[in-house]
Amino acid sequence: MSVSHSQAPALHAHHEPGFLGKYIFSTDHKIIGIQFLFTSMIFLALGGLLALLVRIQLAWPHSEIPLIKHWFENNAGRISESFYNMSFTMHASVMIFFVIIPFLTGAFGNFTIPLMIGARDMAFPMLNMMSYWVMWPAFVLITLSFTVPGGAASSGWTAYPLLSTLGIAAPGSNMGQVLWLASLLCVGVGSMMGSVNYITTIINMRAPGMTLFRMPMTIWAMFITAILQAFALPVLTVTLIFQLLDKTIGTTFFLPPEGVTIGNYYTGVGGGQTLLWQHLFWFYSHPAVYIMILPAMGMVSDIISTFSRRPLFGYRAMVYSISGIAGLGFIVWGHHMFQSGMDPRLGTGFMIATIMIALPSAVKVFNWLGTVFQGNLQYTSAMLFALAFVSLFIIGGLSGIFMAATPVDIFIHDTYFIVAHIHYVLFTSSLFGIYAAIYFWFPKMFARFMNETWGKIHFTLTFILGNCTFFPMHILGTAGMRRRIPDVTAAVNEESLLMLNQFISISALLLGLAQLIFFANFFGSLFFGKKCTERNPWHSNTLDWTTPTPAGHGNFDVIPNVFHGPYEYGQFKDRTEDYLPQDVKYEGPTPNEGH
Amino acid sequence: MRLWWSLVFGVTMLACFLLVVVAACVPSLKWWLPDPVSTHAHHIDALFYLILAVTGFFFVLTEALLVWFMYRYGAGDKPATDADFPKLFKPFTKYLDSQHKIELGWTILPAAILLFLAFFQISVWAEAKYASRRGEMFKDATPLQVAVVARQFEWRIRYPSSYRLEQWLKLGKNFEQDEDFKNFAKVKSPEDVESVNELHLWKGHPMLVQLTTADVIHSFNLPHFRVKQDALPGRILQVWFTAKKANMTQLALDSDAKTDSPTDKADDKNRWDLACAELCGWGHYRMVGRVLVHETQDDFMSWLRAKEKEEHGRVSAKK
Repeated sequence: MSVSHSQAPALHAHHEPGFLGKYIFSTDHKIIGIQFLFTSMIFLALGGLLALLVRIQLAWPHSEIPLIKHWFENNAGRISESFYNMSFTMHASVMIFFVIIPFLTGAFGNFTIPLMIGARDMAFPMLNMMSYWVMWPAFVLITLSFTVPGGAASSGWTAYPLLSTLGIAAPGSNMGQVLWLASLLCVGVGSMMGSVNYITTIINMRAPGMTLFRMPMTIWAMFITAILQAFALPVLTVTLIFQLLDKTIGTTFFLPPEGVTIGNYYTGVGGGQTLLWQHLFWFYSHPAVYIMILPAMGMVSDIISTFSRRPLFGYRAMVYSISGIAGLGFIVWGHHMFQSGMDPRLGTGFMIATIMIALPSAVKVFNWLGTVFQGNLQYTSAMLFALAFVSLFIIGGLSGIFMAATPVDIFIHDTYFIVAHIHYVLFTSSLFGIYAAIYFWFPKMFARFMNETWGKIHFTLTFILGNCTFFPMHILGTAGMRRRIPDVTAAVNEESLLMLNQFISISALLLGLAQLIFFANFFGSLFFGKKCTERNPWHSNTLDWTTPTPAGHGNFDVIPNVFHGPYEYGQFKDRTEDYLPQDVKYEGPTPNEGH
Repeated sequence: MRLWWSLVFGVTMLACFLLVVVAACVPSLKWWLPDPVSTHAHHIDALFYLILAVTGFFFVLTEALLVWFMYRYGAGDKPATDADFPKLFKPFTKYLDSQHKIELGWTILPAAILLFLAFFQISVWAEAKYASRRGEMFKDATPLQVAVVARQFEWRIRYPSSYRLEQWLKLGKNFEQDEDFKNFAKVKSPEDVESVNELHLWKGHPMLVQLTTADVIHSFNLPHFRVKQDALPGRILQVWFTAKKANMTQLALDSDAKTDSPTDKADDKNRWDLACAELCGWGHYRMVGRVLVHETQDDFMSWLRAKEKEEHGRVSAKK
């Protein structure tokens, strides 16, 4: 495969852009990445606050809510059921579409891809800028949706019709749902622009010598993720448009032929299928689950290898694993629908595919353990979050097998077991991966270090409180507590769980407080952190660390030549350092070739 | 610091493990699977425990290795060598130099376990949900057929009249051919009996639920019976199960006359919910009915006749 030099918009040293051109309307992939980073952090705070509202209600279902009780004067100061439904719906929507995906593909995809493959910028810098700016209508619409009559969407982030399509069925299913749909459409368009750009950049713009199997795992993961997005997003876009048409001009894609009646309101005849939404939505949203974890897996692989001072164990197996996850990821969507009325024989096929998708995940875990084994572990904040990712992804991966098994799923479907599972995968895995990446790349982004002591305090609290918050949810689910309910005392088998819910909520509140340490550390370090002038503070091998700190527009002084894979850590015969950057020529045997 | 970090990881993971043990072993907490009261529930529970055992083993194995590695290979120590291996692992260390072989090993072994787990589930899944297999549960008897219509936020349950039910029960295994039986879900008869949020059946006899919804999607969820099926607008779906235990004693029936609230009918320990499991609007959480299992067919019939009298002023009989 030919590898072209990037001559992109770099090296315009003669006219330095002003503040607006440099930081706001920038086509520099690093700045766009940082823009995504900041907006995702704002939405992380919003999504977190919504989660705390949910937790407060679940622990003390019959009490007044502190601080904002005047919002609920006609409900005796308690959160109303509809507001509760809106809170968890918007918590999930914000966290998935405005935090995790933009963090991983928007912020770190943008920041790392050109740096790690040795390119001066993305293949299409202008398209890259648009992929960020098309997010702004989405930000505005989703934020505005809280203020429209009826409030924001309240039919769950999965927005199953007819609850989501009939305005009379839920207050949030009026204008709030329309704005939700429009907002997600914009996010989808932005992701599609990013995806096309990433694929093109990775295929065409690698530095000389950067063969596919010399690419760091971060890049492999971003590459596979971009392919997943390219194939899955059109389906989401279509189904969002279907629902938008149902809600605005009165089509009936999801309304059954005879229509339905709510109270005295008759919808009129339909002609569609309710389950159609679920099939189309999960055809996107299951691959999306991998979109939300693969980039974190890639970054964690690089961070663990760097701080273990060991080659990544089974590099090729890791590449095949993420490809396997991506391939299988397209034929498992039905596992969200085992109890939905889909033909149960189809469920059997989906079950086998779903259980087998645990295999590449297992291989990855063993490989991470193999990397740590016999290493020389350096416990930086980034490394701790990466190790915690491995530790807690094990729980998320193993709990997935319960719900993949169709008979067991009959019981645990729509219980807190699912809630536990998704938070082990998205919070303690994806978000931990994101934290690891922020601590790791912060010096390259801002030429300052984040404070390590506060980083470790943040880590310890987040790790312990995160488990206190999410692990007991497995127990709630095993005892049969349903998800999406504001009051556990409504059903008798759920009453015994109030105490456990209070423990979870207190942990969650403390967990929320602990994140303030992170925000303070982040913004404090931005201005007052220890300066980083070194190019390669972590003694890492990948090309991003060969650039000046901070890297200017155009990244590299000269486009590097690549001579090795990215994981040459360990003892070298005639080198004093224990690492070998990818652009350094070295003839002797390398640690990774020993295997 | 390596001791501290391996302790943070190790103790937290140990606490998670112990929480599961406590929840499973202290029934008075009610933090574990509710009592299984249908004939197929213990098959599902057995699979749950099988998966728990397999995942529990791999959880302990991988977390223990991680914590041990974190302690053993934390920076500051002398570089590790193969000689540091505990003797136990000696037979395996020779493969460590060959990534290919070890990768093959830890791919094929989990693949075999996962494939086994997947195929092992199929028979119970088929037993619970395949229409082609429900004859095994009905055996030679006509099931008790009811029509359930979910709506925001209640369960409306329609029973055949006592006379009609008696006619069906005489059909034996030929019930599938009977026009009247087949049309029950679609055609409402004025003699039918309706109840809200109360699902009555009797012990040891199969029940066939014709499930649909009047408005949005709901989910017919009986946790104690290990039954869950979404109700779809415009479609009638079948659900079937057999109760293994009863919770309506004659005593409870007698006290029935004094109160209308179904929650008071069965004693607290034996209250089995019919709790909607699919988000259906603001009242979703309290869309909860009760399952009331009578000890014998006679008990059920006398309840049905009493209900008929209450609704239509008379007990149904041949016209």
